[in-house]
Amino acid sequence: MRLLINTGSWSMFIGRSHPLLVHLPIGILLIACILTLLARREKWRHLQGALPATLLIAALSAIASCITGYMLSLDGGYEENLLLTHKYLGIGVAVVSTGLYILEKNKHKGQLRKWQVPASVVMVLLLSAAGHYGGSLTHGDDYLTQAMPDGLRKLTGVGAAKAHVAAYTNIGDARVYEDLVMPVLTNRCYGCHNEQKLKGGLRLESVELIRKGGEHGPVLKDSVPEESELFKRLILPEEDEHRMPPKGKPGVTPQELELLHWWISQGAPTGKTVKELTKTPLMLAVLEGMQPATPWDKQEFIPEEKVNAVSAEHLAKLEAKGMKVLPVAAGSNYINVDGINASNFTNEDMQLLLPLKAQLVWLNLAGTRVTDSSFGVIGKLTHLVRLDLRNTGVKGKELSSLNACTELRYLNLAGTAVAGESLTSLQKNKKLQQVFLYQSGVSPAAVAELRKYMPKLTIDTGGYHLPLLASDTTVYHKVAG
Amino acid sequence: MTKHAKLIKEANDTTLRFFTRRHFLKDCVTGLGAAALGSFLASCGSSSSSNKTLVDAAGNPMAPKPPHFPGKAKAVIYLHMAGAPSQLELFDYKPELAKLHNQLCPQSLLEGKKFAFIRGVPKMLGPQAVFKQHGESRAWISDHLPHFTSMADDVSFLKAVQTDQFNHGPAQLLMQTGSARLGRPSTGSWVTYGLGSENSNLPGFVVLTSGGKTPDAGKSVWGSGFLPSVYQGVQCRTKGEPVLYLTDPDGMSRDLRKESINAINEINKEEYTAFGDPETLARISQYELAYKMQISVPDVMNINNEPDYIHEMYGTQPGKESFANNCLLARKLVEKGVRFVQLYDWGWDTHGTDEGGSIDYGLRNKCREIDRPITALLQDLKQRGLLDETLVVWGGEFGRTPMQENRDGKDMPFLGRDHHVEAFTMWMAGAGIKRGCSFGETDEIGYAAVKGKVAINDIHATILQQLGLDHEKLTYQFQGRPFRLTDTGGRVITPILS
Repeated sequence: MRLLINTGSWSMFIGRSHPLLVHLPIGILLIACILTLLARREKWRHLQGALPATLLIAALSAIASCITGYMLSLDGGYEENLLLTHKYLGIGVAVVSTGLYILEKNKHKGQLRKWQVPASVVMVLLLSAAGHYGGSLTHGDDYLTQAMPDGLRKLTGVGAAKAHVAAYTNIGDARVYEDLVMPVLTNRCYGCHNEQKLKGGLRLESVELIRKGGEHGPVLKDSVPEESELFKRLILPEEDEHRMPPKGKPGVTPQELELLHWWISQGAPTGKTVKELTKTPLMLAVLEGMQPATPWDKQEFIPEEKVNAVSAEHLAKLEAKGMKVLPVAAGSNYINVDGINASNFTNEDMQLLLPLKAQLVWLNLAGTRVTDSSFGVIGKLTHLVRLDLRNTGVKGKELSSLNACTELRYLNLAGTAVAGESLTSLQKNKKLQQVFLYQSGVSPAAVAELRKYMPKLTIDTGGYHLPLLASDTTVYHKVAG
Repeated sequence: MTKHAKLIKEANDTTLRFFTRRHFLKDCVTGLGAAALGSFLASCGSSSSSNKTLVDAAGNPMAPKPPHFPGKAKAVIYLHMAGAPSQLELFDYKPELAKLHNQLCPQSLLEGKKFAFIRGVPKMLGPQAVFKQHGESRAWISDHLPHFTSMADDVSFLKAVQTDQFNHGPAQLLMQTGSARLGRPSTGSWVTYGLGSENSNLPGFVVLTSGGKTPDAGKSVWGSGFLPSVYQGVQCRTKGEPVLYLTDPDGMSRDLRKESINAINEINKEEYTAFGDPETLARISQYELAYKMQISVPDVMNINNEPDYIHEMYGTQPGKESFANNCLLARKLVEKGVRFVQLYDWGWDTHGTDEGGSIDYGLRNKCREIDRPITALLQDLKQRGLLDETLVVWGGEFGRTPMQENRDGKDMPFLGRDHHVEAFTMWMAGAGIKRGCSFGETDEIGYAAVKGKVAINDIHATILQQLGLDHEKLTYQFQGRPFRLTDTGGRVITPILS
């Protein structure tokens, strides 16, 4: 016996059969209890004969489970209190099941028989409790509650769902550890490095615990992520056995990696907000991506409201003119109307767009035959987000009718003879982000005027010129020529 | 008795000899047939579409289709520098490497590694270019690309792209099809399969080559693999006829051509009704497209009508096969609604074996050939409002070593670098890509990626994402399982997305 316990490999090896072995007493004891109950009735009396053998096997397997369980516990890495509870409950099961066997063997001795049923009930309770704590030891104590449907959770009042709501509206105000780093560790690491599971003797639930490190020493070297196991392990190749999270578990995303790197290189502070720490350009980019999305960011080009689908009849009329009509995305009723093969599309045909005005968000009329008269209809297409009028005959006298298109973000007037003075009317299109005026008749003064009203608007007048450089013609040869 | 037994044995042997492989196959028919029936039945299901009224019901495989979600990009221009340009002379500045110049490479970099040509212990080769930081983003760009420096704030660099193929052919296949082996569809094919073609008079996927050679991997890099062949890239030439065998022979009028195509298509339609083979549909639509292309292609491929200042900007010379011409064509094609324009420029394989293939001369000459055209392409797309909806991707199939090549253990006549898989630079611009961003880092000598590693299928996932396609949902059923461009990998490179 001494030999078995002291040579680590033997006890460990046998100990690891515990998760397998425990299922035997569970199953057999339950059957034994059911048999005991059934055998009390006349009809099932014959089951009596099976009881002694069943209970004996159950008791023996329970004892074997206890022994292997003890060996497994020597392996370490389990939360003490939980382990103790499980241990005593397990021993309890072994003792009571042995008791049940003795009861069964001696039941003809007067009083003992009436103890059978209460002892069986105690048995089932003990068994359930031991099993539950055993499960908590291996899977973590929120394994069951995590998977509970919300309704049941409310009903039972356990482990109320922690809705993950960003605690900040502006990324600059987010606390680096509490709001950004901790959620990453929660999602990727806590599963194994928690109070119960303690893989590698490491817990990661708080900065203090992180600094404490695991059984292989510290995991955090202040300000040097490249020398901190907490970061180093994440960037190992997937095949590497030291890589974290291990193969098969969801990995850390590139952004999360950058975030951890940054946090460690800043000295792993707590309570500091993003604003208070210095940021590299790359980190700025990563942080920008973490800015909580406003509804508009989510679907840049599609309104949130639901609309009905366009009618097939109106669609057919438009397509007969060579227009391509497509949903902006599968399953969406918002549409993109594209005139790429409709070079004969005219002002009169514009009327065909009116029945689609609720759905029409992107409109490409580039190269069609529409002119200024089309603005009468365009002004009614109030959901337009993108409007492309490149290389058309519009002169833009009616540009102010675009003010009704309050959702407009992109306006392309390249290759048109748009007059400068009407351009300033675009200032009322508050959501406008980009205007293209390459090869249009707009004067620099008109552009400057519009820019004054809308400093954030991108106005591209094009006409880029690449200087002629000596390097454009220099041919390199070994022998100077 | 023994004689009797002998006779029986002989009779048995003879009978067995009559059972040939044919008999075996014949007997297998029922079993194999049943197995085959399963796959037939599965493919008989009607493809139901949620938005039938808006999706081409005639079964035209190239009809435009809605993306999975609203995409930022309508088109892609992919500039592939075949042969693999040296990141260490262009974008990945390593002053530490200069200090190690001409010193023997440390053993730690060589142990357990395999190179295409380097043998024994090579010397380190310092950067052979002058680097400066450019733009507000302070991006490092060398003096090899003087014009491109003005675009520093318009592109997103990926500094730590990794591949696992160190030979050109497999590496190009991997880069373009997601697999180093033949047989997978190219990215352009997947994109046209997913989104169809916007312009019904032009192919959805056009390929333009320059540099005097097509890529080492051959035409498979724009092949359609197991997708219907209608999705393969159409190679257009800048010299001579743009598309071979597209013009009618002398004496054939356009009307007659139309009549004959109509007749052929009628027969093909009957064929399709009888057998339901999607390849027949592909054939019908290709005949129709070819007929339309007889007019549309010469028009779009003609750069003579472009104004002088545009020619000056790109550095184009009409009638020649050049990267500059291809860049201008790429802009014209995208303007006309072509979904995927793939450019291959050959001649970046700088081993140092000869002057053309050297770091000190050849590379600089190649850089001159692309510097002006690429800058012009980005600016031209920008001024037309097209960069907003066009994704531009630049890169090779792998990178080059920080060590100087020593083929067969000998010194080379010119400076050269061997193929390198562990880290190289690519960049993307336009359509929802962050401006002036640099993602990923290599170690101090540019040997290995240390941060922001990007796999080839991450590039693919990102391209599809910008087009509004979910790389995990864009699948094609083949040989009993759904295939996708990113196979079982691929993560969208979100840090470079705006």
